[in-house]
Formats: sequence, C-alpha cells, structure tokens
Amino acid sequence: MIINIYTLIMLFVACVSLFLGGFLLYATIQSLVTFKTAIPAKAINTFEQKGYLLFLIACVVIVIRMLAWPWFYFMLQSFVPEIPGAMCMFGVTQILPSTVIFLQIIKPVAFFVMGGWLLCYAVDKSTPTTPLARRNLYFLLIVCSILLIDSAADISYVLRMKPLMSVSCCATFFDTPLRPSAMIPQAILGSNYQDILFILYYAVNIVLIALLFTSLSKKWQSLPASSKKYILYGQAALGIVNIPIVIFAFFEIIAPGLMQLPFHHCIYCFMGNGTVPDAPIMLGMFVIGTFAIGWMGILRPLCKNKEVQPVTERMLVKVNHLAVFCLLASLIMVTVHFLFI
Amino acid sequence: MARKFWIGILITLTIALAGVSYQKLLRNPRCAYDGSPIAPIYEVDIILKDTSVRKFCSVYCATQWFEKNTLSVDHVLVTDEIRGNKIDSNMAYFVESELITNETNDNRIHVFQLRQDALTHAEKFHGKTVDDPFFIDE
Repeated sequence: MIINIYTLIMLFVACVSLFLGGFLLYATIQSLVTFKTAIPAKAINTFEQKGYLLFLIACVVIVIRMLAWPWFYFMLQSFVPEIPGAMCMFGVTQILPSTVIFLQIIKPVAFFVMGGWLLCYAVDKSTPTTPLARRNLYFLLIVCSILLIDSAADISYVLRMKPLMSVSCCATFFDTPLRPSAMIPQAILGSNYQDILFILYYAVNIVLIALLFTSLSKKWQSLPASSKKYILYGQAALGIVNIPIVIFAFFEIIAPGLMQLPFHHCIYCFMGNGTVPDAPIMLGMFVIGTFAIGWMGILRPLCKNKEVQPVTERMLVKVNHLAVFCLLASLIMVTVHFLFI
Repeated sequence: MARKFWIGILITLTIALAGVSYQKLLRNPRCAYDGSPIAPIYEVDIILKDTSVRKFCSVYCATQWFEKNTLSVDHVLVTDEIRGNKIDSNMAYFVESELITNETNDNRIHVFQLRQDALTHAEKFHGKTVDDPFFIDE
C-alpha cells in the first residue's frame, strides 16, 4: 500500500461508505418488507422518523461516494512519483490493470445512478405525502448494491497497490499508429478521420445544445405532444451518440492540440500533468452535461405521479438548464483554447 | 435562472482564458514530444527553418520527433552533460551506454562536447560511441 493523504482519505471514505452502505441496504430491505401505504395514527411518528433517518443516511453516503470519483483521479496522480517509469496516471494504471479498469467503469456508473436517485428523492421530499417513497426505496436497493461494490473495490485497490514494478511510458500505448482511438474512427470515417471527427464534435454538440434549449423555450408548452416526444427522444439519442464522438475527439484532436503536442494522444497527461490547467473542468462539464440528459431520462418515468407532477416539471427544467450549461461551457472552453493557443 | 446561466457562462469563459494565458505566459517549457518536464542537462533544442524552437527532454524524444519532421529542421542543439553547454549536434559526441537518463523512455544516449569525456563515460558505463542521430542529409 502506498501511504499518503490521498490514499488515507480514500480508504477512510471507502470504509465508512461500506459500513453505512451495508446498514443502508439492510434498512432498505427491512423498510420494503414492512412497507404499508396506510399506517395507524399512533405509528406515524415512528415511521416518519425511521424513513427520515434512512433517507438522511442515504443522502450522506451517496454524496460522499459521488465525490470519491474525482478523488480517485487525484489519488492516481499522487502515485505517479512513487512508481518507477510512470510519467502520468497511465503508468499508475499499469499496476493492477483489471482493478483500475473496473474502478474507472464503476465510478461513472455509480455517479450517474446516485445522481439520479438524489434527484428522484428531492422530487419526492418536496411533497408532504411522499408518494414516490416505495419507488425510491427500490431504486435505493440498486444504488446500495453499486455503492457497496464501488467501496469494496476501492478498499481492495488501495490495499493491494504496491509500487514494485517498473512501468512503461504512455507514449508507448497512446502514440502508436495502431492505437484504438485512431483505428476505430479511421475504420468508420476513413483515412481523413481527424477532420471529420472534429466537424462531428462541433456539429453534434451544437445540435444537442439547440435541442436542449428548445425544451426550455417559452414555445415548448404550445408544441403538440408528438413533437415534444420526438425532441426528447432526439435529445436522448444525440446525448448517447455524443459520448463516443467526444471521447475520440478528445483523444485524437483536442488533447494533442491543446497540449501543443501534436503526436501525443494521452488523455491522462491532458487531464493530470498541468499542461492544460483547466482540462479537468472541460471534461467534468461534458460528463455532468451528458449525465444530466440521462437524469432527465430517469426523472420522467420514475417521478410520473399526479401529485408530484408540478415538482417534477420544475426539477426537469432545472436539470435541463444544467445539461445546457455544462455542455455549452465545455464546448466554449475547448473553442477558446483552440482560438487563442 | 437566465441571468445565473449567463453569469456561469461568463465565469467559464474567464477560466478558459486564464487557462490559455497560463499556457502561453507562465508554464515552464515541457518536452514537445511527450510533455514531460525538461531537465536542463539533457535538453535538446530543434531549431526549425522558420526559426521556431522545439524543446525536448532527451535525445530519444528529440529523435522520435526529428524522424517525422526532418524536412522542416534547420539544425539541432544538444546539451553537454558535463558542462551544460549547448552545442550543435554536428560537433557533439554521442555515447550509448547502460546509464539511463530518463526512466520514462529508457533513453541511454548521452551527449558530450569533448571526445575525452565521451570515451571516459563509455568506459565507465560499458557504452559505445554512436553516430549523430540528428544528421541532416543536405
């Protein structure tokens, strides 16, 4: 184990969330088993207190786990000087590679699911009768399972991490002509893939932002239901299509261009070595913007209830604003860098 | 909401401009091939025909870049490991030995201004003299 402030905090957070997550899972199952829509007047107070405690613990653990995602990258960056041969986070990922890949997949998934649950809970909480409580408890079961897996994986990684082997430089992986980030777009878009990818990056992002603005406009309410449906499906589809386009664009064009290293395609160097100091904000904005589109997709079906409908609508507008803002901010930041660098 | 939105965009714009300014004005030079910090004693400067300069952290990185951009290169300055002087690569002695200058890219090529220094290094670290890797065929 490498001991520094980052690993100690990570270990502490993972242990606390594992313990609280375990308790939360048990309490959620118990609440679901004993769940009643009608409660005797005498028991209302106890029931409310139990529910309040359960959801309070859930909120605390979930917020902590969501913060653990960026913290994980801070921790990887702190390992760079400890590992022989490591120049950036890529070198660190060469030790316990399968665990790191797993963590890099589960963390965004956990962030997305937990964010979705927090929004559903916020909608339910704003109504005195909490009509979505049961649905939120079922959702919380999924959240707890992911939370426990994520926390256990964190503990396992931090404890097993030993800088005993020498690793290779990121250039040996990211800068070879047969790198996956070049081969895949080349196979789809042809040999001139870089120009097409760059145009696609701007085109898809601009159309997506325009669609998101449409659902915020004053004319939205007057649109027929079928048009609204098409626009919402369009937002979701473009949001999904935008993910690989942005990822490949960052690897192939944006990262080398902004780092002023035209042959270096390492996203870890771009993110962590300080060459582009605002790179993590750029990437973070894109992630939150994309997730916000997904969160709208979670809110619409899960918070479908006459009682909470006005609250859901208000929440959807807020999340829509968040998606537009984050995607636009990310696009502006990339553009400013390309214009002035 | 609209006001907050545009204030947020303005803040983002400011952050991006600050980032660009930092990159242009404050950042220490980094290797133009792999982005790593440059140790002055191993610095290699490639001077292009348009008089712009590309700085590299090691002979390895400079060679990798040079191979792809030979046509645009005017001349190459390397650093003598003993004195830290910058000399034209045509004048330098290159030794490939067991001593690594940069663990990241496993660079084993060392640069010397004097022949005697090169021979001493080669003897001490089981090396041999090699040709100038930046030879430009006129």
